[in-house]
Amino acid sequence: MIDVRALRKTYPGGVEAVRDIDFDVAPGEVFGLLGPNGAGKSTTVGMLTTTIAPTGGSASLAGYDVVRQALDARRVSSVVFQEPVVDRALSGRAHLELHGRLWGVPSSRLAVAIADLVDALRLGELVDRAVGTYSGGERRRLEIARALVSRPRVLFLDEPTVGLDPRIRHELLDVIAGLRGDGEMTILLTTHYLDEAQRLCDRVAIIHLGEIVALDTPHALLAGLGAEILEMRIDGDGPAALAALRARGVANADSFAVGSTLTVPLHDRTAAQAIAVIDAANLAASRITTRTPTLDDVYLRLTGDQMAEAA
Amino acid sequence: MALLTLARRRAALTARNPRQIAVPLLTPILFATVIAPALQTALGGLGTHIDYTAFVSIGTVGLLVPLATIFAGLSVIVDRDSGAQRELLAAPIPRRLLVFGNLLVALALSALQVAVLVAVAILRGANFDASATGALWFIGASILFTVFMYGVAETMASRMSQQEEYIAATPAVAILPWFFAGALFPIGALPVALTEFAKFLPLTHALALMRYGLLDSHGSGLNDIWGMSSTTAEAFLSLAVVLAFAVAFAALAVRSFTRSAVR
Repeated sequence: MIDVRALRKTYPGGVEAVRDIDFDVAPGEVFGLLGPNGAGKSTTVGMLTTTIAPTGGSASLAGYDVVRQALDARRVSSVVFQEPVVDRALSGRAHLELHGRLWGVPSSRLAVAIADLVDALRLGELVDRAVGTYSGGERRRLEIARALVSRPRVLFLDEPTVGLDPRIRHELLDVIAGLRGDGEMTILLTTHYLDEAQRLCDRVAIIHLGEIVALDTPHALLAGLGAEILEMRIDGDGPAALAALRARGVANADSFAVGSTLTVPLHDRTAAQAIAVIDAANLAASRITTRTPTLDDVYLRLTGDQMAEAA
Repeated sequence: MALLTLARRRAALTARNPRQIAVPLLTPILFATVIAPALQTALGGLGTHIDYTAFVSIGTVGLLVPLATIFAGLSVIVDRDSGAQRELLAAPIPRRLLVFGNLLVALALSALQVAVLVAVAILRGANFDASATGALWFIGASILFTVFMYGVAETMASRMSQQEEYIAATPAVAILPWFFAGALFPIGALPVALTEFAKFLPLTHALALMRYGLLDSHGSGLNDIWGMSSTTAEAFLSLAVVLAFAVAFAALAVRSFTRSAVR
């Protein structure tokens, strides 16, 4: 449904935002594009939604090339943007109707579609109010409803929960999870909240400095780190301590340091064995814990310090 | 269909911002109802059969339309910075329709404002001398001049990244030409060099046509520009000039918008 081949974007001035990325998304799949701020996620979505011109490669939505058949590509897709993209003076209903008319939804179906979405996204008390009076979460729900009015075959959700408080964020995640039930819709979600990707996505691509550095199911990406992780805070230089653990065979190449915190996948070692080596190496650790790996660990390993800066 | 949908959206946004409708009217009405009669009393008018209050009333259309279209252009920047423009850019419609939808509303709004201005001038005692044909000349010139000015405004809005930059350019674009285009006095009253300069301004041609239509069937303003014996030929020539500017700047506006919409 989404087919991306060697897609590239170099902005004037030479900034390479996206560097020859490849991926495809099957019909009905929820695909996550993860990465720190500035990794190239929004540029990728911009190219797929035809608001950013690629400088190389190709991409298509439902078989329509986003450059040569841009109108057709836009006809089968909708976007929920990262920033608010609304007319604050107009009502929620006006936004839904505008989307329906521009996407060619027949009048006979438009009223029913709007009524269903208003009900499904609990917009009933809001929909005839000016959008300027909505809270952040209400506006997000409206924007999701708007994107669904045309029943798109491809839905882009560009950081849909950024800036929302935790309760509203979880409400929205529930709404988005509900969209998964509609197997006809393919969803591309960008986020830097790893729990969102883990919860919602069938597969995720981790993008870093414009390149895809990992692409697999969340389960497979987690499996690469083993069953247990040892996390320790060092009193001193984190990278130097990590090098010492590597020299003693406790830490593999998939271990990493962010500041003074070391994360060490244990793989076939036990925590006791690892701690014994740490003691033998005279590393002063203020805190040592073990836990199961999360997608955050995969992400931090692959994106390193830049993630720490973005977080 | 999509064009009307876009125009309806722009109209709904404009209707919720009454200042956009009223503010451009204030200065032209002040000129037409206070300053023009005062100048007529103080200076004795034009010294011809033409009523000076009516003369200036038409002249102030040349201020009203640029101000109204500049306001409309500002809405494009607001749309881009904090409105729903990105949603419209993601819609399966040719992006030029976004420009034309805004233009339709700018035309309707300008028509309303010009009608109010003329009505107020009549109430103040301005004497017009209009025929049906004359009204057509007036309407044609007004529409084409509005299209030209909206093209200028949309082009500026697409090429300028900040509202401050746009607003700073407004006096030079919307007000300065008005002083040279024969709005308050015939262009022949200017120094020779400025008279020649005025002949290159589309506003000079538009105002001469509007006065030819509503006020002066002898076309003295057209004659100041062309110096020909046939007033009708002069009128068609001036109409062609305004048409050329309208088409050129409408095309430039579409090009600027579509280029700025895709990074």
